[in-house]
Amino acid sequence: MDILNKTAEEVASIARSGEVSVKEIAEQMINAIKQKDSKIKAFIHIDFDAVIKRAEELDTKKDKSGVLFGVPIAIKDNMNMKNTETTAGSKILSGYTSPYDATVVEKLKNAGALIVGKTNMDEFAMGSSTENSAFFNTHNPVNPEYVPGGSSGGSAAAVKANEVIASLGSDTGGSIREPAAFCGVTGLKPTYGRVSRYGLIAFASSLDQIGPFGKTVKDTAIMLNAIAGFDPRDETSVQTEKEDFTALIGKNIKGKKIGVIKEVQDFKLQEEVKNSFNDTVKALQNAGAVVEEVSIPHLKYALPVYYIIAPAEASANLARFDGVRYGLRVEGKDLKETYEKTRTEGFGTEVKRRILIGTFTLSAGYYDAYYLKASKVRRLISNDFEKAFSKVDALVLPTTSTTAFKLGSITNPLQMYMNDIFTIPISLAGLPAISIPTGTDKKGLPIGMQLVGKWFAEKELLQIAYTVEQELGGKNGI
Amino acid sequence: MDLKKYEKLAALNLSEEEEKRISKDLTDIINYFEVLKEVNTDNIEPLVYTKGAKLFMRKDEKQKSLDKELLKKNRELFNSNFYRVKKIIGD
Amino acid sequence: MEYKPTIGLEIHVQLATKTKIFCGCSTEFGAEPNTNVCPVCLGLPGALPVLNEKVVEYGTKLGLALNMRINKTSTFYRKNYFYPDLPKGYQITQYSIPIASEGFLEVKTSKGKKKIRILRGHIEEDSGKSIHTGDITESEYSYIDFNRSGVPLMEIVTYPDIETAEEAYEFLVLLRKTVRYLGVSSGDMEKGALRCDVNISVSKGETLGTKVEIKNLNSFRSVRRALEFEINRQIETLKKGGKIVQETRHLDERTGETKPMRTKEELNDYRYFPEPDLPPLTLTDEYIEKIKETIPELPNEKEERFIKEYGISEDYAHEIAASIEVAEYFEEAAKLTGKPKEVSNYLMVNIMKFINENGKSIKEITFGAKEFKELLDLIDSKTISKNIAKSVLEESLSSGKTPSQIVEEKGLKQITDTGEIEKVIDEVIKENPKPVSQYLEGKKQVMGFLIGQIMKKTRGKANPKIASKILIEKLNALK
Ligand SMILES: [Zn+2]
Repeated sequence: MDILNKTAEEVASIARSGEVSVKEIAEQMINAIKQKDSKIKAFIHIDFDAVIKRAEELDTKKDKSGVLFGVPIAIKDNMNMKNTETTAGSKILSGYTSPYDATVVEKLKNAGALIVGKTNMDEFAMGSSTENSAFFNTHNPVNPEYVPGGSSGGSAAAVKANEVIASLGSDTGGSIREPAAFCGVTGLKPTYGRVSRYGLIAFASSLDQIGPFGKTVKDTAIMLNAIAGFDPRDETSVQTEKEDFTALIGKNIKGKKIGVIKEVQDFKLQEEVKNSFNDTVKALQNAGAVVEEVSIPHLKYALPVYYIIAPAEASANLARFDGVRYGLRVEGKDLKETYEKTRTEGFGTEVKRRILIGTFTLSAGYYDAYYLKASKVRRLISNDFEKAFSKVDALVLPTTSTTAFKLGSITNPLQMYMNDIFTIPISLAGLPAISIPTGTDKKGLPIGMQLVGKWFAEKELLQIAYTVEQELGGKNGI
Repeated sequence: MDLKKYEKLAALNLSEEEEKRISKDLTDIINYFEVLKEVNTDNIEPLVYTKGAKLFMRKDEKQKSLDKELLKKNRELFNSNFYRVKKIIGD
Repeated sequence: MEYKPTIGLEIHVQLATKTKIFCGCSTEFGAEPNTNVCPVCLGLPGALPVLNEKVVEYGTKLGLALNMRINKTSTFYRKNYFYPDLPKGYQITQYSIPIASEGFLEVKTSKGKKKIRILRGHIEEDSGKSIHTGDITESEYSYIDFNRSGVPLMEIVTYPDIETAEEAYEFLVLLRKTVRYLGVSSGDMEKGALRCDVNISVSKGETLGTKVEIKNLNSFRSVRRALEFEINRQIETLKKGGKIVQETRHLDERTGETKPMRTKEELNDYRYFPEPDLPPLTLTDEYIEKIKETIPELPNEKEERFIKEYGISEDYAHEIAASIEVAEYFEEAAKLTGKPKEVSNYLMVNIMKFINENGKSIKEITFGAKEFKELLDLIDSKTISKNIAKSVLEESLSSGKTPSQIVEEKGLKQITDTGEIEKVIDEVIKENPKPVSQYLEGKKQVMGFLIGQIMKKTRGKANPKIASKILIEKLNALK
């Protein structure tokens, strides 16, 4: 049986029934990866022998009840997995062997998942195209001349290319949603605090959140069931009651209020994106939802706020890479020179750029004008959303203003940052959001729409997203 | 912007060529931040922690420490288990 | 006008928790290098800090004991700098709002009592330890042990209220007493559980002079020596028309001089910002109240109460109250015996001597309140004399036997049987005709000699009062 085209839900049930062994599933996946990945280059680290061994172990397990039993899953390379190489796409960590498992890795294992390997990413998750990986570029499976988006480009591409059934990415300012849109898969960024960050290599701690990529909305819900929950090892994970995120899937959304953001109209959208947005709104209305306009007055300040706060946090988060205990070390004549050589050679240009911005905005004399100011405007943005959510149940807006661009076509950093203009405001507020494929442009490149839920209302968000997926499904061949 | 100063604080030492390239980008990016000046933030509390954040405290109970073999996979240890670096002050 | 020193202290108190502030690694001192480490305290990528509740409890307790306000919301910040023993490249500490603010300690000096105000107390993590083999300037490498990385500290910062080396010394002594009373720190300076940096300037009049920092003072004596030297150095420099340079100095333990530290040209811009991994620490009134209830009577209060309640001398009260164990020992014995003065005497003279000579603690000795009562009862009932009592006490301390056991075994019972004493007196009169006739001639001073002879024959066991009464009677009969 060909399992490559199946959903996580289907594969788990096949594996559970014993109809196909996990080993056979693993072998099919490995063949697919061997066949396709030389072109797509979604994976950084993959150990086929280890995958087969893990599959055999799963086959001997008596308890096959895990929600992801036997499902091949890839994880972004910024998540620690014990005794495997974890590099976060950076030369400074090449050869680093992690001595521990991230909480999400533990949880995937507990859910019976078959973790296949580590996917490529922009170095330390800083980027929107995966071109900032220190190792190589990942190609968009839809058209290899185009970027897969980023920073979780490898995880999105691996799902799109049917190299795995689902995957994990991390999203700081759009790093799950933007590649999901570019590759034409579904990507969910949970509410900040929903999924433990323990073991996720930090980029910007107050924004980073792990989330799933899947072929369907329901698969991302199943994935979220496996990885969500309070973790006593992460002080920013939030104590909430256990929920089944698939619970409302399939329930009708009659009477739900959906907001469209007035200020989004101020931004120029690619024509097909605009059309697809209108299709999505119609689909929501067809399903009985009431669409109304809301205002996020501070929306346009989100990008500068983000590019102050995220690099500031990153400048501290990346200070531990000093060559003393692990990773790259380039000896100089003394310690200071060793630090400088290690870090200058170990980090790529974009990472250095952001470390320097962050160092500057936190420095004496500039802190108030930049970091503090940005943190205050962040409050205003969050307040705007709070107000909007007093009127509506969810928001809908494009994930990106354009479809994927060609590899190497954007070299100006500011222009690159503009890709995340619609995802960043949501990250700053810590809200949950999902990007689902809603169409393609003239070149056949996927278009993604973003649905945003209230804080910790993933269940309702997934319910609405599922409805849109069903309404548009036939048309987009999903 | 005195790039050298921030390189030093960040323990970086860029080549001249890299400095030139990054310097222009940084100026553009920092100029872009200026737009925030038009936002009135009087009496607004900064936001660092999003909804639901609540500190919890762990019990004062010992947990297993890392096996030194795992440390050694990533760096050689010296003189019975010390990390080693070149001395702090250069000549 | 004279030069006046202005001194402020920054003291790091290591909190005596079992595990580190943000991870479950042991805080044990002296373990094999890099064995008490984990992803968190080693700064491995992806690891996150989780606050130890005991650190908050101890921090709150110490803050309250130092008469400080406990802030119901306090925040953690990152202090950024590169140093090989700082694994994350930043230290997690408290910055804008510490756990405790605005307090004081009242110290006693030779010039009387003085209140020294405390600005703040904040909790933070310690760094690892860099070890340099051989001379720091010559060795090619530094060796790093991260066992200490993440050990909890509370930093106490005083106002610059201190004006003499003695005041600084007394402040530290009282702080150490306090942390030991509370059980929140061992207070051992030699183990680094108490570390002190000082800021000092001298000036005439209102405008403060240039501030010099003296770092890494690792004993009470060092603090005193460093300050005495530095006050003098600064005054002499200014008198000669010189200028004080703003700098960091250290104490040369051999010469007792302070010297400028060899510093790397360093930019001091720590870029503090809120630690996003740790939401603010909030404490309820109930929590603070509950901690307050666990605070014992503190050294100064105890000292004053001992003077008032038990009428013991100020010096003894000060010394006894210096340690909570000694104070508790004293109070139990004083209450049981009803003789606090005697107890304080025996305690400070005989028992403390024994303890110091044998390197023991008061908790280790078997001579407790019960034995104290036995001993004082033996004196009361005239079973033994005060002289004998001292040797019984010493014997009891070293052998662990009870006072009555010792008196019994060694036959030290005082002789009060007049018949037996008379027999001895008769012998003494017979053997000492010369002093006897001198007495009869009116030289009353020889009485002492004759009593001494009686005591010698009875090996001190004769009741001196009875003995002298009978002796006088017998001598008068000879007239
Ligand atoms: Zn640890």
